[in-house]
Order: sequence, then C-alpha cells, then structure tokens
Amino acid sequence: MRLIWEELRAAVPMIFHGNPYLLSIIWFTVQVALVATAIATLIGVPIALTIGLGRFRGRNVLHAMANASVALPPVLVGVVLFLLSEPQAPLGSLHLIGTRRAVFIAQAILALPYVVAFTAAAVQGLPPGLLAQARSLGASRRQLGLLALREARIGVIAAVIAALGTALSEVAAIVIFGGNVYGYNQTLASATLYEVSGAHYADAVAISIVLIGMILVLVCGLGLLQHQSSGIRMRFRSAA
Amino acid sequence: MTGAAEAGRVLLRCEHLTVQRAKRTVVSDVSAELRAGEIVALLGPNGAGKSTLLDALAGALPAAEGRIERHGRVAVALQAPDLARRTVFANVVLALAWWGVPRGERAERAREALSAIGAEHLARRRAATLSGGERRRVHLARAIAVRPDVLMLDEPFAGLDAEVRANLLEDALSALRSTTRATLVVVHDRAEAWALADRLLILIDGRLVASGPPRELLEQPPSVVVARFLGFDGSLEDGDELVLTRPPHVALDPAGPLAARVTRAVPLEDGVRLELELDHGRLYTVSPLPAPRPGQTIRVRVDGGARFALASMPARPSSPAASTSTPPPGRGGT
Repeated sequence: MRLIWEELRAAVPMIFHGNPYLLSIIWFTVQVALVATAIATLIGVPIALTIGLGRFRGRNVLHAMANASVALPPVLVGVVLFLLSEPQAPLGSLHLIGTRRAVFIAQAILALPYVVAFTAAAVQGLPPGLLAQARSLGASRRQLGLLALREARIGVIAAVIAALGTALSEVAAIVIFGGNVYGYNQTLASATLYEVSGAHYADAVAISIVLIGMILVLVCGLGLLQHQSSGIRMRFRSAA
Repeated sequence: MTGAAEAGRVLLRCEHLTVQRAKRTVVSDVSAELRAGEIVALLGPNGAGKSTLLDALAGALPAAEGRIERHGRVAVALQAPDLARRTVFANVVLALAWWGVPRGERAERAREALSAIGAEHLARRRAATLSGGERRRVHLARAIAVRPDVLMLDEPFAGLDAEVRANLLEDALSALRSTTRATLVVVHDRAEAWALADRLLILIDGRLVASGPPRELLEQPPSVVVARFLGFDGSLEDGDELVLTRPPHVALDPAGPLAARVTRAVPLEDGVRLELELDHGRLYTVSPLPAPRPGQTIRVRVDGGARFALASMPARPSSPAASTSTPPPGRGGT
C-alpha cells in the first residue's frame, strides 16, 4: 500500500508539470482514438445499416458474425496484421510494421466490430412499422438509412462509445503490429505496458491516471450526448 | 400525383390476382378495380388475406398469377401507426420528403393534412407523448398529406376504444373524400365499412366473395357465406328455402305467425339479445326491456331476411322436426 502511495506521489508532478514525453503520448493517443473510431464508424455504419435494414438471405448470419467479432482477441488481430505485413506477405509493400499507421489500422480494426454489431442491433430494434411505412411512402435508401440512424441514435452512440473505449485502451494488437516504439508510436495504454516492463512504476501510474481521465472525459461526454438523445432534456424542459 | 384524375376513372385494376406468402396461396383469383372518387372497404374475417391483397395491390408483394394495373401513385398507411421520434408536424413533413414533395411545399401541405383530419392542435407535440387515438390520427394525416392517386389504409381504426374510434371515423369521413383519389380501406369492423365506404369488397378465405354498395349487399347478400359474414346469424327453413336473418328482421309480436321458445337471454346496453328456438330453425333478436325470459314461449314474425334455395346448400343444416302447422316467415326486403 505504501508503495502505491509513493508511486502516486511521484506520478502527480509528472502529470501537472507538462512532461514532454507524456504530452506527446497523450496527443498521439487522442489522434489514434479519434481517427480509429472515425474510420470504424465510417466503414461500420453502412455495414450495420445493410445488416439492420437489408432484406436479403444471410442477413442473420452476417449479424451473428458481427456479434462474434466483438470477442475478437486483440492479440490475434495483431499477429494476423503482423504476418500479413511481413515483407513477403500481401501487405508487405506498404511497410506498415513498426509505424504509426500500424497503430491507427490495428485500433480501427478492433473498433469496427463494436460499431457494426451495436449499430445493427439498434437498427433492428426499431419499430418495424416505421421503416415499413417509410418504404411504402417511397423513401430512398439514403432517407431510410438516415431515418434509421436518427431513430436508433442512442444505440449508435453506444456503439461509438464502445469503439472509442476500445481504441483508447486496447494494447496487444498495437504492441505486436506497431512495435510500441518509445516516444514514436506509443499510446497511453501501450506506454503504460512499456513503463511497467522497465519497472518505471511512477511513470506507469502517471500515464494510467491520464488514460483513465481521458476515458472518463471522452466516454462521459458521449454518454451525456446519448442521454440528451433519449429525451431527458425534453422531459426537463416540459417539467419546467 | 396526377392531380387531374377525373372522377370515375379507373386508377387501379387487378385481374385474376393470386398472391402467395411463403409459397402458400393466400389470395386466389381476385379481380377488382378502384375508381377515382370512390372509397372502397375491403372487409373479411381474420386471416382472410386482406392485408396480403393490400400489399400486392400496393406493389409490396409480387403477384403469383394475374395482373395489376396502376394508374398513378399508390400510398399505403400500414396498420402499425409507428411515428418517428420528432414532433407530429415533423413526422408529416418527413412523410412528404419520402414521397418526394419539394421542400418549399412541405410545411403548407403538412398543416393542411393535419387540419383536415382534426389534428392541427397536435402539431407541436412529440410523437412519444401521443395517445393511441392521436397516433392513428397523425398516421392518417401523413397518408393524406402525400395526396396519392390511390390511398390504401390497413385497419386505420384498429385498437381504439369505441368513443375515440367514432370521433376519428367522423373526421376521416370528410378527410378521405376526394374526387380525384381512390381509397381502399381494410376494415375488420362492419360498422366502419358502413360508415366509410361507397362499395364493399368481401374477402373470405382469400377469395373475393362479394362486391357492391353496402346497402345492396346487406339487402341481398349473394351467398350464405357472405350473409353469415354480414351478421345474418338467424336461420329458418321455409319449404325448400333457407331464410337467414339479422336481429332487426325478427320482431316480437303476440299476433306473429311463428311460435318460438327463448333459449338464451344476454343483457345488452339497451335491451336483451334473445336466442329463439323454432321448429325449423334458430333466430336472434334484440328485445327492449322488460324482455321475455329463457324457457318462455313467445310469438314472433320475420320481416325480410335473405332467402337461399336449400338445394344449393353444400350441406343442409340440421333442423328440428318439421311442423306443418308453423306458418312460413314473411317475405320481402329489409
């Protein structure tokens, strides 16, 4: 207990004194989390809408696969990406291993299943009559998709929160694929692992505190947005 | 919308239409047409294939056999009045956007439709705060707002209590009337059909068994099946004919020609529904209070009813022993 207290006391000044190493990791982590979540959302939402709104055979199989892929082990993703990117492998010519791009790609791939599975579930949970009515009144695919996203926004925001959480905190894939290069392509999570491996516990604690703070800020922000979407704001207004 | 469809012009026609769901034939050999200016009620018992026929006519289901001609755009108001999580006004505007109405016209048309169906006071309410009746009203407004050439409504009054239904029916009556539009309303309740429709289509077991103005069909149902469906619950053998009656056809009359025994008395709001057993059949009527009691023998007369040759019946209904002393019921229309 005393050890933890001492490490915490050593960690706090690092956070508040603008350690350049820590600042660079924070900035890179923010970039990775936002870009990976944005990529996963841009790719995942159309897939989720296809699964959620589509009327084709195999739709349920696709949804089951999307659900299963949420449990995809990050280590496995890292190993597969690493093997695919070796010089002789199909992605070898892109020279991704050990780069910053590798970190963005790995985190986006890990975040994607959350966007697809949660968004598709939210869309499938919409009142079927509303979508059928829109179809019968001639709504285009784009209009249907926008309607579904708007109506299922609470579930869609939940999907984005889950994706963001993954992009912020997953570590195995980026360590294997990105290499966890000190001060270059480390995120807060992978830097924590790095510092623990080097027995620099005060640094690890400082980075962890920042990571938890960042997760709280970003996820709580999205959570508030989700609650606003669910009509809490409207109820306050009508009660006033 | 064409907007210039002259009254009486055929806007939708199906010929020998057969429709299947999951490889099972649900609608067989239906031929019908809808003309501009008329409101047609599609009536039938549960599972008759009404919604399937509606889906096929609207183009949501393919025809297994036969053909469908549509002249103009068809809009369907589905049975579930599910609305988007926005205001009532925004819901109607959204429907207009789906329909392809230019942005500048949407607000005015939404206001008109809400006003036509008596829902203008709901315009700023959120859909989630509406009652069942209000949701149905907005659902109707959405369908009217798009001004289709053919409007199809699938059980627009389902699940409403009597008072709300009566109010909505009254408002719908004027809102649905249009000289340029043909309206097909699927209804489960006969009273709704009488209130709304110029013409009835009666679908039983997937087949169109009757078509015509409500009053005509009620006075001369074309078959026993149709008569039974239209509420002719009493039956009496008269020589080689079967007389089917509705409660208004049977009158309690001390000087009446028929002797009947009251076998059941069910209290109603404004009287008592009596089940009467006669030598040649069983009749039903509604008596004002005080009403005869079960076991009592009374005299009745039959005014009207529908007559069918017994020889044409697929199976003769079993009847008590014939009594030649029983005079035949009166003939004549309703």
